[in-house]
Amino acid sequence: MSYNVNFLFLLDYWDALLEGLMTTLGITGLCLILGLGLGFVVALLRLSSNPVVKAVTTLYVEFFRGTPVLIQLFWIFFCLPLILGFEISNFVSAVIALTLYMGAIVSETFRSSLRAIEKDQMDACVALGIGGFTKIFYVILPQAILRAIPTLLSNSVSLFKESALVSAVGMSDLMYIGQNISSVTFKPVEMLTAVAVIYFLIAFPLTRSVSWVERKLIHKIAL
Amino acid sequence: MQTTTQDTPAFIKVRGLKKSYSETIQVLKGLDLDMYPGDRIVVIGPSGGGKSTLLRCVMGLENIDEGTIEVDGKPYIKGQGRTEKNAIDHTIQKQVGMVFQHYTLFPHLTILQNLTLAPVKSRGIPRSQAEEKARGLLKRLGLADKADAQPSQLSGGQKQRVAIARALMLSPELMLFDEVTSALDPELVNEVESVMMQLADQHMPMMIVTHDMWFAKNIATRVVFCAGGVVVEDGTPEQIFSNPKEQRTRDFLEKILHTENAA
Ligand SMILES: Nc1ncnc2c1ncn2[C@@H]1O[C@H](COP(=O)(O)OP(=O)(O)O)[C@@H](O)[C@H]1O
Ligand SMILES: [Mg+2]
Repeated sequence: MSYNVNFLFLLDYWDALLEGLMTTLGITGLCLILGLGLGFVVALLRLSSNPVVKAVTTLYVEFFRGTPVLIQLFWIFFCLPLILGFEISNFVSAVIALTLYMGAIVSETFRSSLRAIEKDQMDACVALGIGGFTKIFYVILPQAILRAIPTLLSNSVSLFKESALVSAVGMSDLMYIGQNISSVTFKPVEMLTAVAVIYFLIAFPLTRSVSWVERKLIHKIAL
Repeated sequence: MQTTTQDTPAFIKVRGLKKSYSETIQVLKGLDLDMYPGDRIVVIGPSGGGKSTLLRCVMGLENIDEGTIEVDGKPYIKGQGRTEKNAIDHTIQKQVGMVFQHYTLFPHLTILQNLTLAPVKSRGIPRSQAEEKARGLLKRLGLADKADAQPSQLSGGQKQRVAIARALMLSPELMLFDEVTSALDPELVNEVESVMMQLADQHMPMMIVTHDMWFAKNIATRVVFCAGGVVVEDGTPEQIFSNPKEQRTRDFLEKILHTENAA
């Protein structure tokens, strides 16, 4: 084999990698916040008794869960401008695509946690004369959100990993920087391995914390 | 029927109550029941006989098919067909409180918040006033130190006492108890039953479903044997327990007392 594995050269590029990581974390954070809001609203809308609202939101969720994020991203970046008649920057495209993706999976998380609230709780509300706004905001939503937290953590990890796709539209995130360095230095093995390790070092503790958070929450409020 | 109460107007009057959960299966089949002022009714009967359904209908938790429920001579709930919504007087509904078998506390709120949520948010009672009342009730029920605990930190008996306190916060005129000790470990049953005895001493009108016949004898002014979706027999505890008229009542009591003695 003529390929010499040597990781030491990475030290020369740590600042570029760090910058890429910051971009990755920034876009993940932004889309996480937007996606949580969107998913929450969509979950509530899907419970609506209006058949049109229900159909539109269901279609949205199923479509974005059922198609590759890469295609969604390309479609927004390359095709949508043709329809709209103006350019959409790679940053805006990335944010839209990842937010729509996150919104779809998060809305499913919220939906199942809403459904998991026992009918008992509704009975208690009737018996106590708690209805309308108070029932939704003081009884149902807090429980739904608490129940959703562990799965939302997993959803966030998925978003973090999926965010590597934004490199495909030229966003200089961790993945993109890594690819660039590897093509300049001709060291793809070291570079891609290093990038994978960085993703892993961030995702792994988060994934592990899911079950810990779950146990804590169950202990605290006995879901 | 008791002759003494015949001419007093009934406090709760249930007439022709029919309730089905599906098109084919009717659970309550035209049930009649009168509750007079001062009555504490214990409903006994075989599992599946419709006891819970009766209480849930009185609470307004179920949409009834047919029949009426009156309170103090005023219409409270009226069935208008299986698929039509009941006519229900929500002002009267607010005077009824209910405690369930499985506590149904709000798990994300502290004990104090469980007690004050409804009065403060739904009845517009000032928070300070509601909290004062809540602390007073908790103290009375031996839970003074639990105000800031979460429901998950409480034993079943404590949770059930909190559930009773939560209902009492709204000063109900009628309390419904549906097998409130059935989910409890045997050693915790007494602390809940003695709270209910306290309420009885204060003349709280109650309708209680229980399988604890000893408790039924002690707390009831009237015992109603409910089976197959109707009231089969209705009388004083002495009469029902020592001299039941109906064969079905006798069979039921024989069976349940037999298993209790065996246990
Ligand atoms: N929500 C429900 N849906 C369908 N069937 C029900 C429901 N609740 C009760 N039932 C049925 O109604 C019958 C009476 O139940 P219930 O009132 O709980 O009786 P009890 O409290 O006397 O044991 C039972 O056959 C039960 O299976
Ligand atoms: Mg029952």
